[in-house]
Amino acid sequence: MQTHARAPVSRRRFLALSAAGAAAGAASLGGCALQVSTGVSGSGETVTMMVKADDLSPDLVQQAKKETGITIKRVDYDITKLIAMLTSGSPPDLVRGVGAVDAAYFAARDVMQELDDYFAASSVLRLDDLDPVNDLWRYDGRSQGKGPRYGMAKDFSQDSMFWFNTAAFDKKGVTYPSETEPVTFDEWLDDARRLAQRSQGQTTVFGGSYNGLVKLTLMATMTASAGGSLFSDDFSRVDFTTPEARKALAWYIDYCRLKVGPSPVLPDPNGWDGPTYQAGRLAMSNSGYWMGGMIGTDKKLAQVSRLAPAPVFAGGPRISACQGGTGLWMPRKAKNKDAAWRVFEWFFGEAPAKARASSGWGIPTLKSLRPLMPAKEEYQKRTLRAQENELRHFSVVSLSPYISGDAFEALFNQVATPAMQGEMSVDSLAGHLNSTINQQLKRGKEQVG
Amino acid sequence: MTVDQVSSVAGRPSSAAGAGRAGSAERTGPSMTVRRHRAFYMFTSPWIVGFALLTITPMAYALWLSFTTYDGISPNWHYVGLGNYRELMGDSTTWDALGRAGLFALLSVPLSIVAGLGLAVLVNRPVRGRGLFRTLLYLPAVVPPVGAGIAFKNLFDQNSGAANGVLTFFGFDAIGWLADPYARYVLVMTVLWAAGNIMIISLAGLQDVPRELHEAARIDGASAWRTFRSITVPLLSPVLLFQTVTGVIASVQTIMPMLLAPLSTTGGLTTIPQSNYTYMIHVFSEYFALGRYGYASALLWVLFVLILIATGLIFRFTSGVVFYNVDPEAKK
Repeated sequence: MQTHARAPVSRRRFLALSAAGAAAGAASLGGCALQVSTGVSGSGETVTMMVKADDLSPDLVQQAKKETGITIKRVDYDITKLIAMLTSGSPPDLVRGVGAVDAAYFAARDVMQELDDYFAASSVLRLDDLDPVNDLWRYDGRSQGKGPRYGMAKDFSQDSMFWFNTAAFDKKGVTYPSETEPVTFDEWLDDARRLAQRSQGQTTVFGGSYNGLVKLTLMATMTASAGGSLFSDDFSRVDFTTPEARKALAWYIDYCRLKVGPSPVLPDPNGWDGPTYQAGRLAMSNSGYWMGGMIGTDKKLAQVSRLAPAPVFAGGPRISACQGGTGLWMPRKAKNKDAAWRVFEWFFGEAPAKARASSGWGIPTLKSLRPLMPAKEEYQKRTLRAQENELRHFSVVSLSPYISGDAFEALFNQVATPAMQGEMSVDSLAGHLNSTINQQLKRGKEQVG
Repeated sequence: MTVDQVSSVAGRPSSAAGAGRAGSAERTGPSMTVRRHRAFYMFTSPWIVGFALLTITPMAYALWLSFTTYDGISPNWHYVGLGNYRELMGDSTTWDALGRAGLFALLSVPLSIVAGLGLAVLVNRPVRGRGLFRTLLYLPAVVPPVGAGIAFKNLFDQNSGAANGVLTFFGFDAIGWLADPYARYVLVMTVLWAAGNIMIISLAGLQDVPRELHEAARIDGASAWRTFRSITVPLLSPVLLFQTVTGVIASVQTIMPMLLAPLSTTGGLTTIPQSNYTYMIHVFSEYFALGRYGYASALLWVLFVLILIATGLIFRFTSGVVFYNVDPEAKK
């Protein structure tokens, strides 16, 4: 008689074995694929940074090795991958983030490492040298801008400011905006209308682009400019029906309806203002100082470009917030925190920070690096004067930890598109936005607890 | 040991030859039947393990997620039972998105099958350079969807796209192709542009149609159209059924061109014109923009069941018109 071992494998048995193999495989994959920190001690340490390719060139990785003795392993920034890594308990050691929208969101979910002790002990990143923009990376459990530090911005801009092309103004005989005194939002829109050039249903030159960094920061900062707050005191609700929020909303919907610039109903295939502005097809671009880095590479364009203050609402306060503050944070479960902090110091306070400061792609986040900002050419001096003047009006606009920038963007665009096309009144839109976004905020609050 | 006894040990009816080998297997090694079984499972196991690991496991995980409020990161998620399913039943956005996905399938599947078949008929003719034509027509199908999306975004841009360049050259006003209500048609065009895939499959089917049937029809005086309608199409019907089923599934699941075509400075991936806000975009938005892993997983499971039902209905309603050219002898 044949032994059991030699009996044909039944389908049921085979499938059971396959399932067991699959489960074991899945477990082992889960265990190995996301192990990115080596945690090796000593001079040959490795730090994993989840950043975009532009943030960390291969040259910088080599420079880090040379100057700190630490090997940096770059992982492409991907929010889904980040969440998977955080969930599996094997996060990167440093992660890219946009301070304005990410700091409160992630800190409230308890995945960020408090960095106060590291800052207190650092001789490179001294607390008295930190620019106030780094307060975007602080969160006290209720409000942004206060409490422990969770990260730092690599550079920043006041993102409600705008660049304008004097050649486009000259062509249409429109008076230039002041480089020191803000125009009102209505004046800005009026200028944009006059500057737009159209032919046979095509816009050959956009009058102006005004979309903020993301809708969340745009609406929150514009509402602040109108003298109000988009969020309730505990950040658990939005209210677009308050006079200030409604004013901000109505202005943006007007901007979209007039089709003077890129919007969800008039998309720009370039994906951002830079190439359109460089091609002379955009008279005003709502971008801060950082876009000077691109403008400076084209001398001809630099000669006709000016940086103007953030617009205000008539009678409203002068608010000029940073809507980004992109930088790095350290996950609470990072495996190699001390080495990660050394890279953090190097990235924000040493050679890379100095190189960024002198490139013109943003204002340095250490006050001591300000003298490195480009100021050789006349157009650079002019831009710097406008920027220094605007810094006096800098403030942090707190955002809710209960909603992500992406969620706000998706819901806003979904609900507001009919209004942008003139098919819904601003008052109806305000009501719809309240119910839709407050639902997401409620879910977020339940999740945070 | 008799032949019948050996068969019962092996667990399978046997031929005399097989029985002989099985009998000797008791002494020298595994029987032929055992070896055949082993070979079968050895050859199929990579697929089965892959299927279990990469399909069954994620599906089961998604099913579990669909009963929770999990968002991937927050600590306070909890089970909601069928709560997500109940919510989606009353979510008008979900049903509107499903309706748009259905409309897209209704438009794109028949058009792409007809286009693919038409192209296959053309390149099946004995013309000079048909190999070149086949290659050229198939090329768009190998362009990655990301590349195709970007190309279409630039072609149909309102202000600088070639499509409006042609319109304005002839004195017409430019059209906002990438916004409502035209965005849907651009999407259908993206699918049609890649009809080379369907062309290749149809071409293989066409070349399988026995030549003598066409010759007989010609001798009987049938016109080209009559021959195509009464001989080619019935013989191609299994291929057309396959294309319909896979086409419906693929069109309902299409996401990349929709995401890329309208990409702009202001909205990123979630700025989708309403007419292209289909079911998978809704799923994408719920997963990655709103972080509602539980609800989005419920959406995917509902889609899975709906696709199963749709596939079953297609098979049922086409059973009388699909002609399987099976060798009758093979059935005996």
